[in-house]
Order: sequence, then structure tokens, then C-alpha cells
Amino acid sequence: MTDATQQGPGRDAGAGVLPDGTAIEAADIAASPPQRALVLHRQLDKVWRDLPGWRGFFTSVNHGTIGLRFMATSFVFFAIGGVLAMMIRAQLATRDGAFLDVELYNQIFTMHGSIMMFLFAIPLLEGLALWLLPKILGARDMAFPRLSALGYFCYLFGGTVIVLSLLFGVAPDGGWFMYTPLTSRTYSPGINADIWLLGVTFVEISAMAAAVEITVTILRCRAAHMPLTKMPLMAWYLLGTSVMMLLGFPPLILGSILLEVERAFGWPFFDVARGGSPLLWQHLFWLFGHPEVYIIFLPAAGALSTIIPILSRTTILGYGAIVAAVIGLVFLSFGLWVHHMFTVGIPHMALAFFSAASALVAVPTAIQIFAWIGTMYEGRVTLRLPMLYVMGFFATFVMGGLTGVMLAMVPFNWQAHDTHFVVAHLHYVLVGGFVFPMLAAVSYWMPLISGRWRVAGLGEAAFWLILIGFHGTFFLMHLTGLLGMPRRVATYPGDPEWEWLNLISSIFGMVQAAGFALFAFDIVMQWLFGRRSWRNPWKAPTLDWAMPLPAPSYNFASLPGPRQPDADAILPLARGEGLLPGAPRGWRETLVVEPGSGRPQHVMVLATNTALPVATSAAIGSFFAMMLAGLYWLAPLGILATLIMAWRWGEIMGTTTDHPPAEVAPGLSLPLHWQVRNTLAHTGAVALLVADATLYASLLFGVGFLTVVAPGWPAPETGFGPWMLPLALAALAAMAVSTVIAHLAEARRDSAALRVWTLAGLGAAGLGLALLAPLALGLDDPTRHARDALRGAVVGFAVAHGVIAVMLALRAHVDAVRGRIGGDRRGALPVWQLFQKFWLATSIVSVALICAQEVLA
Amino acid sequence: MIWMARVLAGPVLWAVLFSAVYALHGAGCHLGWSDRPLGFTDLHHAAMWTVWIGGLLLHAGLVVWMPAGQGRARWIIVAGTWIGLVSSAFTLFPVIVTSTCF
Repeated sequence: MTDATQQGPGRDAGAGVLPDGTAIEAADIAASPPQRALVLHRQLDKVWRDLPGWRGFFTSVNHGTIGLRFMATSFVFFAIGGVLAMMIRAQLATRDGAFLDVELYNQIFTMHGSIMMFLFAIPLLEGLALWLLPKILGARDMAFPRLSALGYFCYLFGGTVIVLSLLFGVAPDGGWFMYTPLTSRTYSPGINADIWLLGVTFVEISAMAAAVEITVTILRCRAAHMPLTKMPLMAWYLLGTSVMMLLGFPPLILGSILLEVERAFGWPFFDVARGGSPLLWQHLFWLFGHPEVYIIFLPAAGALSTIIPILSRTTILGYGAIVAAVIGLVFLSFGLWVHHMFTVGIPHMALAFFSAASALVAVPTAIQIFAWIGTMYEGRVTLRLPMLYVMGFFATFVMGGLTGVMLAMVPFNWQAHDTHFVVAHLHYVLVGGFVFPMLAAVSYWMPLISGRWRVAGLGEAAFWLILIGFHGTFFLMHLTGLLGMPRRVATYPGDPEWEWLNLISSIFGMVQAAGFALFAFDIVMQWLFGRRSWRNPWKAPTLDWAMPLPAPSYNFASLPGPRQPDADAILPLARGEGLLPGAPRGWRETLVVEPGSGRPQHVMVLATNTALPVATSAAIGSFFAMMLAGLYWLAPLGILATLIMAWRWGEIMGTTTDHPPAEVAPGLSLPLHWQVRNTLAHTGAVALLVADATLYASLLFGVGFLTVVAPGWPAPETGFGPWMLPLALAALAAMAVSTVIAHLAEARRDSAALRVWTLAGLGAAGLGLALLAPLALGLDDPTRHARDALRGAVVGFAVAHGVIAVMLALRAHVDAVRGRIGGDRRGALPVWQLFQKFWLATSIVSVALICAQEVLA
Repeated sequence: MIWMARVLAGPVLWAVLFSAVYALHGAGCHLGWSDRPLGFTDLHHAAMWTVWIGGLLLHAGLVVWMPAGQGRARWIIVAGTWIGLVSSAFTLFPVIVTSTCF
């Protein structure tokens, strides 16, 4: 048997190379001998299945279960958001509508937008990604199953709080983009705005978790020898989406934190009287908000790129062009956030920059549209139900794109800004670019989810109701907008010319709602009464159909390899002729590959059923709940509870013994993840730090922005006095020492002095953190001026990361004491190193920034 | 991952240039650079032009010298370099034709 693990300490054992140093090529992987499929199924099911009953609800971490829960919950929130939309249409049907008073109307349109954006669209794409990705990539689960479950419970708890606020009459009412100063304490004294800020931030934890999860899974958990250039286009789209989430959400999270700190503690980030600017909120919000449109669109486009060729009985046209278009979209979408702010009074130069970028982004979008049309032209289109929704997408999204180009032009934007024309445009883009493709996706993958075929006729009727209802509702809004009707007004008594258009919109709105209700009814009927579906009903070539229906919890009895690249491998894979057949060690295992080439590197042992995610989300939720209740002095207890839970996550990882390599295929054995350095956890930490660095960069952007827009900043009072600079330098020195020690500890992990090294590193990190405390206390009162508030935020960032670094140092020391480090086993050392470096680098920048402010003051 | 780095090099350079010119724009307005004549233009425009043109030269270098690999892998790298070049040329073109601080 070839053993790829026989390498000395310090090397990344088994990293996709054979003992003689050559890379593992496809030809090196032989087929496993066939086994009885039923025996393999029983073995795998025992290891991978969820616990029964309520215990299963709280302990499942399987991607299939969590993904379906995400999707089901998002559709429940969609229904709630839809009911709110109907209430809006009922109110606007007549010009003196008395259905809602203004206060409630404000809450309802704010909640409609917030629910559809944060509780429906993003979670639905997360759910689809979690459920689908391992299936199309040829893996058994996502990279971090517990993280999936944590994300779900954060979403469920946060979303529930946000929706319940409506029942108690304290729902957010400042618009879904929460512009300041309307949402500052002065004009929104209740807890309405706090519910949005805290609830959405709580929910966004799930988005960040999903972004890390999706990125790492696509890069590292593919079938053996599936290179990036040959993976399914859906994976490319989801990779683009997850990278955009890593870069797009941090500005929103930062903005929410700053606004909540301003509301709770009076730090004036957005208060003009004290050096802040409401435009800072708009910049941070739209730095997230515009990429968000593409975050939503890309997974939908991925579904289209999957479904269109299959239902056209051909292959996709222009794979390379589509990948390039996705990359272009990912980048360009970050260069046009200011087009949401064309009317706020910004310089001509910025208007021109962002208008040009807004027009340019239509190009990669158009490339994809042409590729899809070309694919349909080349193939033979079958108008099955998913294809009907694809047609609905074309009819709707293209119109939304064209009005988008119109709105990208500054003079037109000035005319149409904040009118119903914009409402029509955004619904054409979001419903056309997300809802129609998602309905196509649900129709397409339902047989794999339920194992059943749908009841004939219902789905088609639902489609026509939705299509006709949608266009009847929103096409007319272009006209009401061009006639000058502003958004967010509850009545329009002085403008009777808008009334008949609104009335017709409202009638069609009800038709659309009936269509969505029928769609939901169709799904339920299929689940309960549909006849059993036959295998691969669409005759798709992709790996997601190379498994029984409905999909089992482990997906594949053996993992696809070079010989099993498509759906035709269903029987060989079920007989165990692929890689890692069965679960002979009683663990949940999946293969980890090299990111670019897909060469197999090691075997990851995944977490099994546990209640830790739900407990952790409850701990995080306790912090948000205490903040929401105004119990700020108790909120640190929530942080403490969260840290304790985070410690528990590390407790059940690691191993104290060297395990033998796992046989992946005859003649090929790979090490388990405990004995390699470049683990999924390491890649995940890198992805998380990319998001963290974006948050920090957004904070620096805030400092720069307020510096140039706020005139006459006051000189520091206590400032950064003579005793503080040595203190700051001492803190940086301690951080640098602990960073060096983290490296030395890993390099000398076999030595008897390992515990001394980790203890010294822990001490140095702790000293660095301790020295930051007087630094924070010595700064000027942060409520005095935006400059002081920003300084407080910058130092607070350093302190927060210091706490994480110290925890990781402690984790490394405990790993050393318990024997989890030694030989090829590194415990928490690599992740500790990463955070130490990040903490040191950002702290150096922060200290330099504060010093520069002193010099320039 | 070297392949991915090559694919992303062009768009990343665009992002860097876009951020740099946007930051120069804000800082120059704050520091009053547009009121300081420099040759046939002013300090503010000159600074932004320098960064932009320098960036375009770098882009051109990527297009000419960086692609590697074969088939689809090479095609995607080439596309990435052109995406960056066209994006920088088009979206930052306004620095030479519009006014700056009002």
C-alpha cells in the first residue's frame, strides 16, 4: 500500500504528494473494489444521520438538514414579507387610504424591505449553497458543519426577534437602509432602530459563517482531481458570492455597530454637531448595499447556468467567458455604491466615477445573458416548469437591467431619485434576478429533496399568476414614478392622477400573491402526495444526480474521483468504487484537496451531532438581548458566555494520539486532518481574517472620510500624551514577542520545552492586551467629538482582537499541556499565529494613525 | 493558487487604482490642491492623472507579460487582465474630463 504520510515533522504531511515527492496524479488512483450497496448505506447512515425528534432539531449539523431548514425558514419569512407587501398595496390602492396610519405604514414598508433582504434573500441563497454544494462538488458535507448550524440558529433567533417587534408595535420604521439622522436617538428615541441594528447584525453572523463555509468548501472540498477550471459553473458563482459576502458585509456590520454605539453611548460618528456625518452611514451602508444586489444575483445566475443547458439538452456556451464575467462582476460591483447617493451633494468627479462604473457593470451581466440565450439557441429547449421560470427571468431581469443603466446616468437619476420608478427598477432586478431563478431552482431540485415528482398543472398555474401579477404590479410603477410619485408616502390626496395606476398595481399585487400561495401549495402537495421520482429525472450530467432520491445524509457511499466525474457514476459510487468508501472508522469523513488542481491532500474528520451551535447562538443572543433591553452593564455577561462557548468549540477538537493514515483508494492512503498543517480550519481562519481586514479597512475609511468632510476638528485635550506613546510601543513589542513565540512553539513542538514556549507566548499576548487598557482609558472622552469616538473605536478594535489572540494563546498552551501538539500534530498553533499577526499588524496601523493625528492636530 | 492570483491580478489592480484615485480626490479637495496651479493644470488633477496613467501602464504590462497556462486556464487569465485594463481606463477616465471639488 502506498503511504503518503511518511514524512518528518515540520512538513505538511501527505499534502497531495507520494512518498517519492511526486504529486498524486489521477492515474495514481485506482478504483476501489465493489461492495454491497446496502451494507455501505447502513454503515454510513448510522454515522451520518440526525438524531430523532426534537433532539435532532437542536443537534443536527448535517449540511442537507441545515440547508433545507435555511430554505424553509426563509420561505416562511418571505410569506410574512409578502403579507406586509399586500398591506402596502392595500394602503396605496386609493389616495386617502385609511387602512394603515402613517406610523404603522412606516414600520411595514421598513419591515418589508428588511425581511425580504435580510431574512429571505440572503438566507435562501445560504440555504441553497449549504444544501447543494457538497452534492455538486462530490463531497459528503460542508467544511464546517457546526458553523452551518450556528449560522442557522443565529438567523432563526435574530429573525424571530425582528418579526416579533412588529407584533409589539416597536418594529423598525426608518426605511430598510436606516438613514441617519432619522435613525439617531434624537429622531428615533424608541427601540425600533435598535431592533434593526442589533437584530440584523445578529442575523449577519449567519451570513459571515456561510461565507467562510462556502469559500473553504469550494476551494478545498471538491472531488479528487476536479480543477477549478472544470468545476460546475454553480460553484464558480457561489465562490464569487461568498467572496463578495466576505468583503461586502463587514462595512454594514461596522456601520451597525457604530450607529448602535452612538445611540447607546453617545459616541458621535454620525452627528454633524460633533464632527460626524450622516453620509458616513450612507457610504458604509451602500458599500454593502450595492454589492448585495450581486450577492443575491450570482447564486441565481448559477442556478440558471445549471438549469438552462440541461433543459436545452446541450452544454453551456462560453464557460470561460462566464467565469470571467463572474470575476468582473465581483470586482466592479464594489465600485458603484455611490450611485445610490447621487443626490446627496457629492463632487462632480465622484458622480462621474460612479456613473461610469455603474454603466460598465452591465457588460459582464450582458455577457452572461448572451451566453444563456446562445445556449438555448444551440440546444433544444424543453418548456418544463423550471424553464418557464427561466423565461420569466429573462422577461423581467432584462427590463430591470435596462432601467438600471438609465438610473446609472446622473441626470436621469436626479429626476427619478426616490420615486416609484426606483421601486419598480429594484423589484424588476431582485424579483427577476433572484426570485424567478430561485423558483426555477426549487422546481428543478425538488425531486432530489423530496424524492417525489410534482402534481401536474399546479406549478404552471402558479407560474402564470406570478408572472402576470408581477408585471401588472410593477410595470405600472415606472409610470407612477415618472409622474413624480415619491416612495414611502402613505397617502397622496393632492395627486389624483396617480390613483388609477396605483389601484391597478394593487389588484395585480393580489394576483401575484395568489401565485406565490399556489407555488407553496404545489410544493406541499409534491412532498405529501407526489409519486416517487425516477433517478436523474432531468438527465443531468452533474454529480448532484449521482445519488439516490431523496439524497441521503452522506450524499455518496464513496466519493467521486477521476473515474467518476459525472452523474453516470451513480451505481459505481453506490457500490463503493469511488474514494473513501463507507465509514469504516465510524467517523464522518470527507476528502480535502489542493485548491487549484484538486489533487487529494488529506482526509477531514467532520463534527458529529452536537448541541453546541444552538447553545453558542443562545449565548450570542443573550448579548444582543441585553443590549436591546438597555441593560448595557449586563451585556458583558453575554460576551463572557460567548467566549466560554467558543472555548468549548476548541475543546472537542484535536487529538492526543497519532492516527494511521486513512485508505482513500487501493494504494493510496492520506493523513487525517489532525496531522497536517494546511487544514480546513486554517483556510477558514484566513477567509475570516479577510473579512476582518475589510471591517478594519472600513473603519479606516471612516476616519479618512470624516477627516476630509468635517471642518475644524478640535485639538486633543489629554490627547496622546508623552506617557502614552511608550505604553503603546510596549504593547506593540509584547504583541510582536508573542507572534515570534507562536512561530517558535510550532517549530519546536517536539521539544520538552514546548509548554514553556506556549506559556511565554500566552504571557506576552496577555501583557500586550493589558497594556492596551490604560491606553484606551487615557484617550479623550469619546462622546466629545467624532475624532475621539473614532479613536475609541480603533483602540476598541485592538482590544477585541487582543482578547481573541489571548484566548488562542491559552488554547495553544492547553493543547501543549494535554499532548495535542507534537510530531505532525499542531493543535491551535497555526490559527493562533494567524491571529497574532493580524492583531500586531492592525495595532501598528492604529498606533501610527493616532500618532499622525497628534502630529497633524 | 498561482493561477487564481494571475486571474485576479487585473481586477485587483483596478480596485487599488479606483481606491487610490478616489482617496486622492477626497484628500486633494480637503487640502485645496485644485487651487494650486501646476503647469497647464493644477496639483489635484496632476496627482490623479499620474496615478491613473501609471496604473494603466501596469495594466498593459499584465496584459502583455502575465498570462500563463493553456486552453481554458490561459483564456480566463487573459480575460482577467483585460477586465482590469478596460475597467481602469473607463471608470477612471472622468479624472481628466471633469471638475474636481464641486
